[in-house]
Amino acid sequence: MLKRTLILLVLVATAAAQSKKPKSPAGVVNSAAPAANETIALKGGKLLTITHGVIENGVVVMQNGRITAVGGAGTAIPAGAKVVDVTGMTVYPGLIDSETHLGLTEVSADRMTNDELEASDEIMPHMHVYDAFHAETALIPVTRINGITNAIVAPASGDTLPGQDSFIQLAGASATEMLTVRDIAMPLNFTGQQRRNQNFDQAKFPFTRMGMATQLRQAFIDAQDYEQKLAAYEKKKSSADEKERDRAGAPPKRDLKLEALLPYLHGKKPVVLAAEQPNDLLTALELANEFHLKVILNHVTHSASLLDKIAATGLPVIVGPIYEQPKESERYDAVFSMPAKLAKQGVKIAFASYDAHQSRNLPYAAGYAVGFGLPAEEALKALTINPAQIWGLDKDLGSLEVGKLGNVVVANGDPLDVKTDVKHVFIQGQEIPLVSKQTQLRDQYWK
Amino acid sequence: MARRSHLYGVALLLVSCLLSTLAFAQQQPSGQQSSPAIHNDVVIKGGTVLTVTHGKIENGSIYIHNGKIAEVGKKVNAPAGATVIDATGKFVMPGIIDSHSHIALSNDVNEPTSPITPHMMMHDAFDYSDKAIYRALAGGVTTSLLLHGSANMIGGQAVVIKHKYGLGRDELIFPGAPQSIKFASGENPKRVYGQKNQLPSTRMGNFEVMRAAFIEAREYMRTWDDYDAKVKKGDKDATPPKKDLKLEALADVLRGKLLVQIHCYRADEFLTEMALAKEFGYKIRAFHHALEAYKVADKIAANGIAVATWPDWWGFKYEAWDGIPWNAVISAHKGVRVALKSDSEDVTRRLNQEAGKGIHYGLTEDEALKAITLNPAWIIGVEDRVGSIDVGKDADISIWNSYPLSSTALVDKVLIDGDVYFDRSLPGLGLTQYKEGQ
Repeated sequence: MLKRTLILLVLVATAAAQSKKPKSPAGVVNSAAPAANETIALKGGKLLTITHGVIENGVVVMQNGRITAVGGAGTAIPAGAKVVDVTGMTVYPGLIDSETHLGLTEVSADRMTNDELEASDEIMPHMHVYDAFHAETALIPVTRINGITNAIVAPASGDTLPGQDSFIQLAGASATEMLTVRDIAMPLNFTGQQRRNQNFDQAKFPFTRMGMATQLRQAFIDAQDYEQKLAAYEKKKSSADEKERDRAGAPPKRDLKLEALLPYLHGKKPVVLAAEQPNDLLTALELANEFHLKVILNHVTHSASLLDKIAATGLPVIVGPIYEQPKESERYDAVFSMPAKLAKQGVKIAFASYDAHQSRNLPYAAGYAVGFGLPAEEALKALTINPAQIWGLDKDLGSLEVGKLGNVVVANGDPLDVKTDVKHVFIQGQEIPLVSKQTQLRDQYWK
Repeated sequence: MARRSHLYGVALLLVSCLLSTLAFAQQQPSGQQSSPAIHNDVVIKGGTVLTVTHGKIENGSIYIHNGKIAEVGKKVNAPAGATVIDATGKFVMPGIIDSHSHIALSNDVNEPTSPITPHMMMHDAFDYSDKAIYRALAGGVTTSLLLHGSANMIGGQAVVIKHKYGLGRDELIFPGAPQSIKFASGENPKRVYGQKNQLPSTRMGNFEVMRAAFIEAREYMRTWDDYDAKVKKGDKDATPPKKDLKLEALADVLRGKLLVQIHCYRADEFLTEMALAKEFGYKIRAFHHALEAYKVADKIAANGIAVATWPDWWGFKYEAWDGIPWNAVISAHKGVRVALKSDSEDVTRRLNQEAGKGIHYGLTEDEALKAITLNPAWIIGVEDRVGSIDVGKDADISIWNSYPLSSTALVDKVLIDGDVYFDRSLPGLGLTQYKEGQ
């Protein structure tokens, strides 16, 4: 017993010692460092405005966190502005990653640094990623210096309802500043991967798709019931009739799980409905319709046979990961070509890295989709204005337009190409130092 | 009558033999009979040829004779009957070589039952029908080193394949490729055995089991040397020691017969591995993954050891925490031969993009191209055969619709030994030797 306790202590001590390592190195905070009120003018670059074409030799002015001017060479630059010469460079809006686990993980193999999934039950809508979000994560500086300025942080997909997503900005003085929209949406995963164990002898409900669908349906029915009880209580409580008010009794016991589902029952917020193969997509869509959910589709990687149906729903799709392997019988490019196929049907698509450490590679997935037929402008939209619209944030994000946030990237080439190097990143009009844990190691050893 | 029925029986037997042969052939992705045994003369004309060893040839041509590159240049003297592949507006480069892969091993990548398993032969698990071979081929890969996993300090012996998807098993094996053996270190062995409360559960244990294994192998070699000496002296009573597959394999390491490929992440472990190699007198061919190579690159270079790494993987475990995307360029500039590899069924399909990322992080175009062709060929020990477009080399060539080291480039055709195995313009899977359902 003593031995076991000792081992445990050693393990804890080791974990504690190890957990020191992944912290951000001194000097790299995730806040944008320079003065907040500086006016910055980017001059001479090729502007990919997204919403109103390409402007060669253009000017972008940012003031008080927002874009105040976008135009050609003749655009007026306010006196006192810091002028950054970006001649020969490409200027585009900050990229939006529509699914990451940034801030929920440091070292993947170390459970102590991972808060991606509460795996104790399949129905966990009351988990909020903002409660775990690690603002000082070393991964965010690594990601943003490749031009990703905003992202959805989602719990991992191991539960049917794993919790609620937050939308983040990849810079800020604290988690509060970075978590720009909390509980923006709720993933609903129906890919067959959410069952607890696949060992028949130790089967535990839900062991099958039947089980998972039924469990999910019951969860929404429970939420409807909870909502009715709340409404009935409120009605009695606010009745003009005193007797009726007395009959109201105690309010229904607060249930965090059911409460978390309420905004989704009437489509106030979207569910991000994840399915890969056609049968799962159809089952999940039926379920969503049954409860009048507002839907953003996710993955649809193996559902090329339902392209017409997907297009007919009019729903937007977060497509990918396009690096998913095709089915055994499929051609090698069956998944690589999904973004092009969806866009051709008029579906609004967005890309996601579905990752944390490699979120920085988001634009390359879009570039690969271009290789397989997606028009380049569509690919860039799927990283900017499309996700901004899908997440309801296009007033602030997604294009180089006056009035939008100064989330702007300058690079030495095509934003989607693997060879391109990002030279400047601005978030809310402030220049982000191109520094990360990794650049520090580079500078230490590259002599 | 009796005789006749006997004959009838023989005939039946023959028919059933024939049927079973046919059935066997049908189980394979394609019949053996479709093997292109006779190579046609081929000319690839009009493309931008990235030779790897002698620069870029605009509007260049390659003449392929008998499966080998016979001529390369602005103009070649090909016979009139040669098959012409028009590569106008396209890019022509050697087939990509993946120096770290675990595809097509029937999910039998690790024998995690002992930390020392040098006698495991990956050839025994090689599944030539695995579609992953096809999907890598469609990404321009023509040669892969299929390695044992990293559960063991000393794993098994690798198999080198050419991606001739659709042919029979033996035709996918790279003929004459040297034998590689996989070593590992660090977190994986200590985790796998530590979880079972066995040795090794620490890096101390890791290196101890290796040392002990080589000491045992030396002892084994000595017993054979003694026996050989007795035989030489004419001792007719000398009895040979029992052959031991495991010790025999370790002895092959010490005899320098195997290329040693070591899974290793951390700077201190490169140094320990190099010291161990010196102590026991074997050479290390390459460090694989090698995320901290940049910290001790000069020492790795001084030992003539190559590095097979990813351009930007990091953070998935502690020994990957200091991985940086400038690892390749720093190591290369300090004189290390650097390859970019996949270690992934996914990434092996787009190693051209990985090389493109190499450029992003500072490699020159030539260095990046070498990192997926000639350098991995060296790691596998087949650099005299493949990895560049040079006269006398195997005609393993990929043709791309645009500059290959980019996000958007697609493979149009892949030739191996002068024959086209993948052609994007073909319907179905785009394969020439594979017949669906056969």
